[in-house]
Amino acid sequence: MSEDKLGLALEMRHVRKRFPGTIAVDDVDFEVYAGEVHALVGENGAGKSTLMKMLAGSFDDYEGQILVNGRDVKLHSPTIAKKYGIGMIYQELSLARPIGIMENLLAGRLPRKGLLLDRIAARRQAQTLLKRVGLDLDPDLPIEDISQHEAQLVEIAKVLGNNPCILVMDEPTSALSREEVERLFAIIDSLRKRGIAIVYISHHLPEIFRIADRVTVMRDGKKIATKPIGEASHEEIVQMMVGRSVKEFYKRDERAIGGTRLKVAGLSRWGFFHDVSFEAKKGEILGVCGLSGAGRTELARVLVGLDRADEGTIEVDGARVKGSTMAEHLEQGIAYLTEDRKVEGLALRLPVDDNVLSVIVDRLSSAAVFSKARGLPRVKRLMGELSIYPPDPSRTVGNLSGGNQQKVLLAKWLASEPKVLILDEPTRGVDIGAKMIIHSSIEKLAREGCTVILISSDLPELVGLSDRVMIMRKGHFTREMSYGECSEESLLLAANGEGNS
Amino acid sequence: MSDNENPAAAAAVDARNVKVGSLSSLVNTAGVYGIALLFLVLGAILQVTGAIGNFLSPQNMLNIVDAVALVGIVAVGMSFVTYSGNYADMSVPTTMGLTGYVCIELLRYGFLPAILGALAVGLAIGLLNGFVVGKLKANPIIWTLAVNYVTMGVIRLIWVNKQIYPDMQGSSPEAVGLFDSIYRLRFWNLIGLPLVILAVLVAVGQFVLAKTSFGVKLKLTGSSPKAAKLSGIAVERVIASAFILAAFTATIAGLAVTSLSRVGAWYNGAGYDFKAVTAIVIGGMTLAGGRGTILGVLGGSLIIGILNNIMTLVGIGTFSQDMVRGAIFIAVVGINAKSLRSLGRDDA
Repeated sequence: MSEDKLGLALEMRHVRKRFPGTIAVDDVDFEVYAGEVHALVGENGAGKSTLMKMLAGSFDDYEGQILVNGRDVKLHSPTIAKKYGIGMIYQELSLARPIGIMENLLAGRLPRKGLLLDRIAARRQAQTLLKRVGLDLDPDLPIEDISQHEAQLVEIAKVLGNNPCILVMDEPTSALSREEVERLFAIIDSLRKRGIAIVYISHHLPEIFRIADRVTVMRDGKKIATKPIGEASHEEIVQMMVGRSVKEFYKRDERAIGGTRLKVAGLSRWGFFHDVSFEAKKGEILGVCGLSGAGRTELARVLVGLDRADEGTIEVDGARVKGSTMAEHLEQGIAYLTEDRKVEGLALRLPVDDNVLSVIVDRLSSAAVFSKARGLPRVKRLMGELSIYPPDPSRTVGNLSGGNQQKVLLAKWLASEPKVLILDEPTRGVDIGAKMIIHSSIEKLAREGCTVILISSDLPELVGLSDRVMIMRKGHFTREMSYGECSEESLLLAANGEGNS
Repeated sequence: MSDNENPAAAAAVDARNVKVGSLSSLVNTAGVYGIALLFLVLGAILQVTGAIGNFLSPQNMLNIVDAVALVGIVAVGMSFVTYSGNYADMSVPTTMGLTGYVCIELLRYGFLPAILGALAVGLAIGLLNGFVVGKLKANPIIWTLAVNYVTMGVIRLIWVNKQIYPDMQGSSPEAVGLFDSIYRLRFWNLIGLPLVILAVLVAVGQFVLAKTSFGVKLKLTGSSPKAAKLSGIAVERVIASAFILAAFTATIAGLAVTSLSRVGAWYNGAGYDFKAVTAIVIGGMTLAGGRGTILGVLGGSLIIGILNNIMTLVGIGTFSQDMVRGAIFIAVVGINAKSLRSLGRDDA
């Protein structure tokens, strides 16, 4: 479209990166103007990350040409990339956890007075950087004492401290709540005004329409198209990403909802949530909506026996849930899919089958002898149902793409055939293809009579899947909305404590 | 609709699998026995060239096997600790020492009470380690190292720095005879009791690790304790069991060593901690946990036994032998870590 190459902060010409046996990035042209927010989208494995790693100097053997501000450069190491003003903000934080915010922010360039650290100057510099991202924290706090979303903002501040001219953000909002996303967008806007070229990677399309100027879609290592955001529609982008048309994302089938399965009365864990009471029926998908910190995950952890309740009772099928360990709650039919896939969810070093069968080890054993052979048909069936790729149960989970890892995590809980399954952010950070499969699997599960409690920050997902949504705010259940009543807007208002009640 | 979601990424993963395979093949179970064979060949070459005397003699082969049996017994039990992701049990040396003392001390009440008493004391140490590391989440190395020193203190306190002898405690000659035979009993004048015990332990250990629900839980725990816990596995109990098993085999080895030396001494088990860990990592069990086999550990013990024998025959002093073992340990752990890191994982 624009013929003038003036104002181009980044130009990648015919870049290609081969791995043994495959081409991860294949003859891609990619341009970003100064002062532009350029969204880069594609499913997991489409080549986005490889393209950006190229930019970050992770490879010394890429083919093609990269120009930064019109200068032909060879980005063969991270140091070189940094020198040319390329800043990367990754999904996974690169902060040292036991170390203070200040040391993290100023790592490598701490101000000194002679041989000693100039603490006063360092504190001042750290505070200035923090202010840029709207954080008002004590720079001496260690990273492990601040919340995950604060850490994400500290990470951004750290990269901004290097004064980059090209900034790559990889899923920067995945750990942020709505308000924090707004704050981040304000920061991005101010960076754009200062003439920084921003590459914004996200699975979350509404965000892209909200913030990006142009969008580039990649699939299978190739660039499919680059378009100004005004000329692209949501459906069109999704279609380009998945290579097929997506008609109805949330197609609802009729489900028969049965009698009461789960009954929670007056449940409290002091300091986290208070006097929570609700019922959920067989075959029902009960959504739980709330901002981060509303107590959703804490509630789930008590329901499944990971934490102890201070007050209240839990009943499954009319019988009081006994015991205080997760194993005992599991036995009584309550299962929990964690929001933290990599640490709490999966043993990444083990193959798919070991992970999927991990909950039912005892059930597959007779006289203490474990029979994997007995569980393998189940693993294969679930892998087929969830289209886990590659379809090989002996594959190490850590080597699968994020979407497939999430499917394995779901398969593990499906294998246990629970009466009540609590899903905590079941589709966070996965691509659209995986998301669709996970959604239809959740619906199928409910159709088969399982009670699903769906905790999600993805409002379209909550609205699309839930039969009912409970709104949680500051540790209390404040409202309940039926499928007909709830929309993204009404949920958001209610979660923020606004709207008619 | 469901077909190949991301063939490019999957193919890249394939390529990485191949790479790791070639790098870590050095420490594969089958490879371990290959290396053991290489050491045997090395010994033979040294004998042919005249550097050492009678490496290949039947008596020397028997010496190797007997030494392997002792290291192997300790290593098989400790493997469970390593496999559970808790590195090693450093309290093994004094567990061996203390149980030897207890056995000799109780010999006056008969052979069986003495053995049972020693086992009870050993298992108590294992239970303590298991509780503190499993339940209270203490650092396994620091904790067991501390237990090692405390136990040494206990020995010196109770027996006032004295060594004790089985035949000087007023025990019956029959009991002393039975005690002596723990190490000396040979079937068909060839296969020693420790070797038989090792064979049984290896067979049972391999079965438990590979085939039982406990083994699967141990693998999940060692691979990712948090994910195991959130799968409803009683991680604390699994880890505690691993330490109890380590203490159990350490006790058996302690009795055998004490029977061999015919003296209760605090230093009876000295060095067995590190010999066992080295055998474990040479045997292909990663310190990160959740990987390896008992058969591999047996191969590792074999290598350690042959190596010690060759070094002794060549005339390398004890301290220098420690140095060689340390260097090998570092090399193996290094290769392991490198092969895991090339996978893009830094949890080795």
